[in-house]
Amino acid sequence: MPTPYERVASPADLPAPGRPPLTRPVAGRWVGGVCAGIAEHLDVSLRRVHLLFVVLAILGPGIPIYLFLWAVTPSSDTGGERRDPGALRAVTGLGESRWGMFVAAGGLLVLVGAVVGLQLAGVDVRAGVLLPLLLIAVGVTVAWSHLDDAERTKWLGTQQQDRGMLWLRLGLGTVVAVIGILVLTIRGGSLAEMGDALLATLAVLMGAALIAAPWVVRLWRDYREEQEVAARANERADIAAHLHDSVLQTLALIQRRSHDPASVTQLARAQERELRSWLYAGPAGSDETLASAVTAAAHDVEDHSGIVIDLVVTGDRPLEEHGTALARALREAMLNATRHGRPPVTAYVEIGPTGVEAYVRDRGEGFELDDIPEDRLGVRASILGRMERHGGTARVRRREDGTEVELTLPPLEGDD
Amino acid sequence: MSTQPKQVRGPVRIVLVDDHRMFRTGVRSELAEEAGAAIEIVGEAPDVEAAVKVIRETRPDVVLLDVHLPGGTGKGGADVINGCYGVETEAGAPVRFLALSVSDAAEDVIAVIRAGARGYVTKTITARDLGTAVRRVADGDAVFSPRLAGFVLDAFGAAAGEIAEVDEELDRLSAREREVMRLIARGYQYKEVAKELFISVKTVETHVSSVLRKLQLSSRHELTAWAMGRRLV
Repeated sequence: MPTPYERVASPADLPAPGRPPLTRPVAGRWVGGVCAGIAEHLDVSLRRVHLLFVVLAILGPGIPIYLFLWAVTPSSDTGGERRDPGALRAVTGLGESRWGMFVAAGGLLVLVGAVVGLQLAGVDVRAGVLLPLLLIAVGVTVAWSHLDDAERTKWLGTQQQDRGMLWLRLGLGTVVAVIGILVLTIRGGSLAEMGDALLATLAVLMGAALIAAPWVVRLWRDYREEQEVAARANERADIAAHLHDSVLQTLALIQRRSHDPASVTQLARAQERELRSWLYAGPAGSDETLASAVTAAAHDVEDHSGIVIDLVVTGDRPLEEHGTALARALREAMLNATRHGRPPVTAYVEIGPTGVEAYVRDRGEGFELDDIPEDRLGVRASILGRMERHGGTARVRRREDGTEVELTLPPLEGDD
Repeated sequence: MSTQPKQVRGPVRIVLVDDHRMFRTGVRSELAEEAGAAIEIVGEAPDVEAAVKVIRETRPDVVLLDVHLPGGTGKGGADVINGCYGVETEAGAPVRFLALSVSDAAEDVIAVIRAGARGYVTKTITARDLGTAVRRVADGDAVFSPRLAGFVLDAFGAAAGEIAEVDEELDRLSAREREVMRLIARGYQYKEVAKELFISVKTVETHVSSVLRKLQLSSRHELTAWAMGRRLV
């Protein structure tokens, strides 16, 4: 049933029909996957895109355009195949990025070679400008690849050793880019001038950092706050959805059945139990213990009979065959108490090193074991017989005020 | 008229502290129906500050105290008990507290008991049992629900077989106290416990009071750490 709080997938989450989002596919990428992504996005052949980029690169703007697209387009492994992060990273992620690095390094060498070659051949391609520009491009690429990976690790779960790698890459990229800028600015100058320029650059950078710092800090804090608010809103929506599906439904039912006190009590009790278990959920895997088995049995009887059973359990042990038998016999005893006795029905189970003792008590007229006809299997077979088969005992005592059934089990073997 | 001095005492004067008005109204009418003139409700309060004020003004015999209350330092019922430290009734007896709660979470219950409440019952209790519990607390005895008894057995390691060698030991139950607690956990009334163990009701009351004292004073780590980590369900 949809609730007003349920999150509906926003249009942005849905792939636009007919046009896949612009991403850089992991499979089949040569360098950064930009061309493949564009081909997929615009539904044109990959070869054409490659051709276009080669032409553009020769004309000039190709490489900056490529780098720009590469930096701003998310890799598709962050969106599509989040499911199996380990495998993805191991098989494709690393392999592809290494392959890409080879291609990039090769391309770079060819470019440098071409520039130097042309310059030496006498054609003026202004190597003094081009080479530093290339250097800057490499630095920026190395630094920006950090962003790409940072995003990836965010999805795959942060890995500590990768973190160091990322910072190293960022630092290295910055250094290379700064050297490129220096070389560009002091073309042909002396070493002393270079020192001065370096100082000036550093001063400018530090000044900029100082001016920008408060703003960056506030931006970061705002971002964190926004994230927290979103998380809280999510949690609220979860709680609201749960309450809507459980408590509100039950309250509506109670209003409609207000003329029937028995079913109102039953509904209220069942809802109380459900809410409690949701609020105070026990540790994981707790449903395989004797305590939880007898608790489940008591809840079951409550649901059947509509009579509240006050169950107290102390201690616990793993659930095995004998424990299961005890839980079943206890269930039968509680059913008897709700049928033949009067409330309040109380049950107490003590699980200790000397064995298990369980008591079910009601306030009714009670019954004598000898009064029970032979053909009534309830007490004889499901309580007495069952306990004896499992090495335990069962006793029915009629008290002044009601009846008490007592069940015992010996301790588990291996226990003291 | 020659009546025994015990009956001369007037009605038990009580103050209701609960932040749900509906619940206060319900308890008021139930107690009026059940106990009639034997119990007189002299005040009500919805939060910690109002409760402390009303209790200091009216000096009741018993305060029915919800475990979860708004106001104070956020500790609910325990704050009220701490705020009323030293307040006495006109007869010179201390004001006594009976904790009421819908929650069985151990840390809540243990917090009010250790602050000084004389007992704990759940809000699903019948009017008759509530009347009995109020009178018992007014007489200075302790009131344990089966669930609190079960918790005590667990927390003191009695269910696992730890037994005090001397009764005065604070961190473990004596063999007799353990028996009494087990019978209460089984749903026995004090009267039935007495009959089962061949002792007087007064002796049962003494044992229960002694367990309450241990619960309040013991430094057994289960009572602090254990109660926080696990819920009493």
